[in-house]
Amino acid sequence: MSTLLEVSGVSVTFDGFRAINNLSIAIGEPELRAVIGPNGAGKTTFMDIVTGKTRPDTGKVLWGERSVDLLKYSESQIAKTGIGRKFQKPTVFEDQSVRDNLAMALKNKRGPFSVLMWKASAQDEARIIELAEEVGLSERLEDSAGILSHGQKQWLEIGMLLAQDPRLLLVDEPAAGMTPSEREHTTDLLKRAAKTRAVMVIEHDMEFIRRLDCRVTCLHEGSVLAEGSLDHVTRNQQVIDVYLGR
Amino acid sequence: MSLDIPRSTAAPAAKPRSFLHENPSVLWFMGLLGVFTVAVTVLSEGFGIGMISTNLVKVLGMTLCLCLIAIAMDVVWGYCGILSLGHFAFFGLGGYAIGMWLMYARTEIVIRDSLGRGTIPPTELEVSEAVAAQIFGVVGSSELPLIWTFAGSLPFQLAMVVLVPGLLALVFGWLAFRSRVTGVYLSILTQAMTLALSLYLFQNDTGLRGNNGLSGLQNIPGFLHVPQSVLSVWFFWASACALGAGYLLFAWVVSGKFGSVIRAIRDNEARVRFLGYNVEGYKLFVFTITAVISGIAGALYYPQAGIINPAEIAPIASIYLAVWVAIGGRGRLYGAVIGAAFVSLLSSWLTGGGAPNIDLGFYRIVWTDWWLVLLGLGFVAVTLFFPKGIGGVFDYLVRKKP
Repeated sequence: MSTLLEVSGVSVTFDGFRAINNLSIAIGEPELRAVIGPNGAGKTTFMDIVTGKTRPDTGKVLWGERSVDLLKYSESQIAKTGIGRKFQKPTVFEDQSVRDNLAMALKNKRGPFSVLMWKASAQDEARIIELAEEVGLSERLEDSAGILSHGQKQWLEIGMLLAQDPRLLLVDEPAAGMTPSEREHTTDLLKRAAKTRAVMVIEHDMEFIRRLDCRVTCLHEGSVLAEGSLDHVTRNQQVIDVYLGR
Repeated sequence: MSLDIPRSTAAPAAKPRSFLHENPSVLWFMGLLGVFTVAVTVLSEGFGIGMISTNLVKVLGMTLCLCLIAIAMDVVWGYCGILSLGHFAFFGLGGYAIGMWLMYARTEIVIRDSLGRGTIPPTELEVSEAVAAQIFGVVGSSELPLIWTFAGSLPFQLAMVVLVPGLLALVFGWLAFRSRVTGVYLSILTQAMTLALSLYLFQNDTGLRGNNGLSGLQNIPGFLHVPQSVLSVWFFWASACALGAGYLLFAWVVSGKFGSVIRAIRDNEARVRFLGYNVEGYKLFVFTITAVISGIAGALYYPQAGIINPAEIAPIASIYLAVWVAIGGRGRLYGAVIGAAFVSLLSSWLTGGGAPNIDLGFYRIVWTDWWLVLLGLGFVAVTLFFPKGIGGVFDYLVRKKP
């Protein structure tokens, strides 16, 4: 397992509020990692920084074998280098079909001219069907994404994330609004994805995290409070005080 | 029969779906445009039984050009979500570019004709000085401005029809999109560009005859002997072909994955960035290509209108354009055509004295005064009660397949 993403000494301040405070965190490839922490601990802001949405005041974000500085990249360039993100609130393109949503996310050339000339190859088509099966939307391919249920939109977004074929998946509360059996399916899917890639999951549901059976990082006030196995982290007195105890 | 061979189950589920099969409205539109063109030709004075006047043929041809810029506006606004209030500036620039050649070449023919009657043939210098004096006498100048250097060359000015709007859109768009100016701020910025351009053209120093604009554009050099009744039909045909080609082009652009991406940009551009698409590049592409088509529409419009002046470029024209598209229905190309044709024809009917004024006894409704009020109310009503516009009616007529 080699280090894929290394965030070191990152701080960011919003109007005097220190959302991220000298945060250092690294993830290898392949690896599955759960990130927990109370509200306002900086979990989502951390993902914003990695994906280029927020620029940190100080610190470094290094990526890949050649340790490229991600802070110099734009959001779309970061996405193209292989970081995919699933948002807390499912954001799919509601007035387009499930098929079009997946086709847009497929790993193909992203320039305007290539996209203008793009035609689904048999391979693309097969991949779309495979993904739709994976996320249980085979029957809904031609339906517009807007009429899907909340859980199905979550699934579609996970499907889009997989379609991008990223090396690092950042997944923000994937199980929100899902039924217990759907949660189980999500766990399987993430665990399978983590066999070949790096996957980082933000979650509040401790049951869900226990099933993921992976290394856990607990954030608090913008920095790492504890890191290790779930048992190790949950036994930590500070973690109990700020997060679990409530 | 051999046609009943069952499909191989091993084949991937990719269905070969042709562009026209997927977009039946394109075929309908082309058919209707063809029928309309033939009908106008048959009824025209130049080629048919003369039931409709040459003037009306020109109005209809100009309307087709307005429909063309309306579909460009629909692509940039209805599909990509950029409310540009500057596309009529590109339209006007296309008109100016072709107008320079029309005016220069025709004046040159007239000057050569009159100077040629003398005993000594005129030198080239004499000709160009006389042309300059003729064109710019009205603004008290007799020098040919630098931008008119190649005005005598049709290929050059035709290239300018495409290049000037295209480059302006490219540079302006690059600066605006790169700074991530969006929404109403972008609209204001495009409007400022339009206003600045209009004010610039109003100045005599600009070298485009200030507020006089360019005139006599209905006379086509080389075809001065052809009567207007015939020329008007030629331009009508050209406008119909341009609209048809523009419609096909945009229908193709918005139908595939490209259309998918730009609609996604309209709905949530941040999300599209996280999918790895360079949103700014797409916006710039759409902004520029629609500006170029607007320039071409303008170059076909003004020879039919006969005159172009800076007032045509004023921001209000671009606002009208947005109103047409909103009334016709955003996000569907035929909606933009319906909106542009309906509103602009209604406008010329009501303001051109065609509609009878209504005497209420205590008050006389004069349509030239009340037209703008009616348009404003219509716009508000459509926005509030029929957000899909007139084109939305077709959703009720055509049941979508399950």
